[in-house]
Amino acid sequence: MPPLIAVGDISRVFTGGARTVTALEHISCDIHTGNFVSIVGPSGCGKSTLLKIISGLLPASSGTVTVHGKHVDSPLENVGMVFQAPVLLKWRSVLGNILLPVEFARLDVPSYIDKARALIKLVGLEGFEEMYPHELSGGMQQRASLCRALVTDPQLLLMDEPFGALDAMTRDELDMELLRIWEERKKTVLFVTHSIQEAVFLSDIVLVMSARPGRLLEKIAVDLPRPRTMEMMSIAKFGEYTLKIRALLAAAGVCAIIGGNRNLLAESFPKTNP
Amino acid sequence: MKSSWKNIAEPVVFFITLLILWEILVEVIQVPSFILPPPGDLWVAFIKKLPILGHHSVITFIEAFGGFALSLFLGVGFAIAVVYSRHLQNTIYPLIVILYAMPKSAFAPLMVIWIGYGLYSKIAIAFLVAFFPIVVNTVVGLKEVEPELLELARINRASEFDVFKKIRLPNSLPYLFAGIKVAIVLSVTGAIVAEFVAANEGLGYLVLQANYNLDTAFALVILLILAVLSLGLFWLAELVQRKLAPWSAAVREVEGSF
Ligand SMILES: Nc1ncnc2c1ncn2[C@@H]1O[C@H](COP(=O)(O)OP(=O)(O)O)[C@@H](O)[C@H]1O
Ligand SMILES: [Mg+2]
Repeated sequence: MPPLIAVGDISRVFTGGARTVTALEHISCDIHTGNFVSIVGPSGCGKSTLLKIISGLLPASSGTVTVHGKHVDSPLENVGMVFQAPVLLKWRSVLGNILLPVEFARLDVPSYIDKARALIKLVGLEGFEEMYPHELSGGMQQRASLCRALVTDPQLLLMDEPFGALDAMTRDELDMELLRIWEERKKTVLFVTHSIQEAVFLSDIVLVMSARPGRLLEKIAVDLPRPRTMEMMSIAKFGEYTLKIRALLAAAGVCAIIGGNRNLLAESFPKTNP
Repeated sequence: MKSSWKNIAEPVVFFITLLILWEILVEVIQVPSFILPPPGDLWVAFIKKLPILGHHSVITFIEAFGGFALSLFLGVGFAIAVVYSRHLQNTIYPLIVILYAMPKSAFAPLMVIWIGYGLYSKIAIAFLVAFFPIVVNTVVGLKEVEPELLELARINRASEFDVFKKIRLPNSLPYLFAGIKVAIVLSVTGAIVAEFVAANEGLGYLVLQANYNLDTAFALVILLILAVLSLGLFWLAELVQRKLAPWSAAVREVEGSF
């Protein structure tokens, strides 16, 4: 089966004023329909940039992205996006915010109201439809923003550290909810995070990136049973995956390692080509 | 409940005490009344001049509010034009900034030459002082949009007009109202200054008349009326903001503090 997304040797250089920053260098990977793929890497390694290039919001300096076999040179059609901040419109109710993409895309709003309500129910925001963002907690706002991303029923969901600003408990809760939605609605998810644990817990595939200039260190297939449960975080295999990713990052010079001998760990997981 | 009652009672008691102290001090120190009349004289002057005060107040109100309304209308329009047109941003905007750096009240004598002695030259000055806070705030409000929102709009193929109508314009409202509250008070000042330069009616004209006659009590009465006028306009703006932009932080802050 051909991949849904094919990233072919992408590089991206930012030239702002006197300084040029190479954000991404020779990134290649395939993402298949229905997969939950996470991108982990240190802050500033180009994760957001990669996501924007895939979505067609930002052009690559070199290389190509194809989605459904089509070359991406303008914003993709029907993609759901969730950002680190909920970025809800303060002047709209929860329901109004969720319907915003429908209005933007000039779809028939009334026929989407039921869909929006179903999503609100799905994420546990029932009864809050008419509330305004400032009346909601951060977690609830992010739930609303998840509904907004899903309302047009996109095949592809792009999430840029969506739960990174939330407290650990709310984050776990939303991770579980996201998995439930993903399993129920059969989406392809591209999920950026800087939490190795979160990446392993959620994903089929974890793409590990090095510090700037961002390169793909390895593509790790996570072979843990589905549906995932929080208890899985304590099994040995889970630990092996997180340790392996830590070692990869450590070997690439990112200090993501907690104690221990950096070289020793790096040797026990020799670097393989992605 | 109890605390809100206290919040009203406290200032009332404070101001009554202030008036009593004023009355006593003027009496005890024997300040000449053309320097500082006792509050009782103010009341007498107010009642005596009541018949003419109405007309002059209306004149000043028309000048101030006319100038303000004009600045709101043109200011918002100009701000939108500047945000959407690079050409205007490069040409007219610097011109506006230069004008902004000039003391607007210095235009008052010129306005008399250009527009004449009547109402319009006062409206022009009120407009001039109110225009800048409106433009500057609206420009900022239209521009300071979270970039993620614009990405969301792009990925959903929103039209430029939709981005304006559904994101930029509502986003600018709290900024606009901040500008309006400054502008509306400034416009009263502008109208008074313009009347000082050349006028035969209005509260600014009355203040000058009171000064010539050493009628300090009446001058102070007019100042109080001007304060009431400015505050009234300010609260009107606040009221409209609560209706049009109840989400804006300023409104919620004020609600929270009572
Ligand atoms: N629009 C831009 N102009 C200039 N430099 C940018 C821009 N966007 C990102 N960068 C730079 O590219 C690098 C990667 O940024 P980003 O993709 O946001 O990283 P991440 O999401 O992994 O934290 C950073 O060094 C950042 O400063
Ligand atoms: Mg980022």
